[in-house]
Amino acid sequence: MRAWLTRWGRRYGALMRNAWLVDLQYRAAIVLWVLWGVVEPAVALGIWWAIARAGPVGGYDRTDFARYFFALTLVNQLTLAWDSWYLDRWIREGELNFRLARPLHPAHEAVADNLAYKARTGAILLVVWLLVALVWPTVRLPVAPARWALTALAVVIAAAMRFFISFTTGLLAFWTTRATSIMELHAGLSLFLAGRIAPLALLPPAVASAAGYFWFPYMLAFPVDVLTGAAHGTATIVHGFVGQLVWLGLWIGMWWVAWRRGIKRYGAVGG
Amino acid sequence: MSARRAPRVLRVLGALWRLNVAEELQYRANFVASVVGTLFYLATALLTLALFFRHTTSLGGWDYWEVVVLLGVFNALSGVVEAVLRPGIGQLAEQVRSGDLDLVLSRPVDAQAFVSFRRLDVWRFTDVVLGLTLAAYALFRLGHPPSVSASLAFVVALGAAGVVVYAIWVALMSLAFWFVAVENISVLFDALFEGARYPVTAYPGALRFVLVYLLPIAWTTTVPAGALTGRFGPVTAAAAAAVALVAFVLTRVLWQAALRRYTGAGG
Repeated sequence: MRAWLTRWGRRYGALMRNAWLVDLQYRAAIVLWVLWGVVEPAVALGIWWAIARAGPVGGYDRTDFARYFFALTLVNQLTLAWDSWYLDRWIREGELNFRLARPLHPAHEAVADNLAYKARTGAILLVVWLLVALVWPTVRLPVAPARWALTALAVVIAAAMRFFISFTTGLLAFWTTRATSIMELHAGLSLFLAGRIAPLALLPPAVASAAGYFWFPYMLAFPVDVLTGAAHGTATIVHGFVGQLVWLGLWIGMWWVAWRRGIKRYGAVGG
Repeated sequence: MSARRAPRVLRVLGALWRLNVAEELQYRANFVASVVGTLFYLATALLTLALFFRHTTSLGGWDYWEVVVLLGVFNALSGVVEAVLRPGIGQLAEQVRSGDLDLVLSRPVDAQAFVSFRRLDVWRFTDVVLGLTLAAYALFRLGHPPSVSASLAFVVALGAAGVVVYAIWVALMSLAFWFVAVENISVLFDALFEGARYPVTAYPGALRFVLVYLLPIAWTTTVPAGALTGRFGPVTAAAAAAVALVAFVLTRVLWQAALRRYTGAGG
């Protein structure tokens, strides 16, 4: 067990150091990507802020909206995964070949890239949030260590979900040239069903309850609601975590099938 | 004007565009993909508006169909960006980094015009058609057709909007001469333009000031859409033309300063 830990610790240490240094070369570019990620929730907050001028909307007043979208920005940055774009390129341009020749599954490199990228960008956003909170009390959250611990757990599971969703969708590049378009479609749906444009409570009730049958709320809205305190009570929280774990399991299964079949097909084309 | 008397740069660009269109016509599936993508984008944008208007009757004083007119204008301008600016001047940062810009500068044509308009992504012009169609439909639903003067004001304001968008791209891309490492600088435009999806009056006061006077995004969608719905008159359209002129001249100066710096570094 210890040998196993040391071996994987060394592997991940090397992969993450590499990813961190690559990102360091592109630090200005990364700041721009973070900025781009901030704009969508900022615009949404601006609009809801204007709408809530007269009073609470669907139980959300201006303070709730501000906290929701600040939490959303952070959680989104910590969970988003670009892997379908990388996979699409790896498969189309043949960059997957040397990765397959390594004695390590290519998914490990992708995981390490994600961890390094999220550590850097998540830290930037956290510092920005703290600085804004200094001058704007509205976005201060009450000190609640237990809730923050639950949020951390929910964010880790959500990040894993979005990683496998993105990776699996990217694997479709084995069969189609439009894998990234499918990911765009997914992003369009998640705008509403994952709570990116509005808290789910503000959607038409039929849409909101339909969203609950998919993975969307669990990959973003649930961790956000845990952080802001909108999700409270043991039943709600347990239900959320169970949903997360079920969908994570299903996506890992789909990822496994897509990988096995895709590699077989890829080998056949190449060989 | 006969082709012979046209300025040299126009003749050069005309020849490039002909080649460009001939090349793109080989990839007709891209046309379908482009239209489907835009229709999906418009559907999500309309659903977003529907969601907002579930909880309000106006956005910054604009009612639903007025904001849809604005969305149509936004989509038309996005089409111009994707068809002309991103494949053209949007490639500048990469050319500065790789040194390919030298090949452009050694040509006997105006470098800014050549860099800006040498390549077209012709299929994305369908976004302009779809956007203007949506704006026309929304106008029909509003129930009062625009007067002749409102239509004229719209044409002027839309032309000005195109110039302002172009000027913003030139300004951002000129920054690439100073900050070579920023290859995805076009992301700054996307971030900025995201704010143009809604009327500026919906935003808080300080931000509105910035969007009207400093980062003149307000002039790209709010003003043309407002001119079309009769919210703004000919005076605003004239102001838009003036803003466009100032933005164009300023960015031309910035471009030339950037180019001097580049030739200085290269030689």
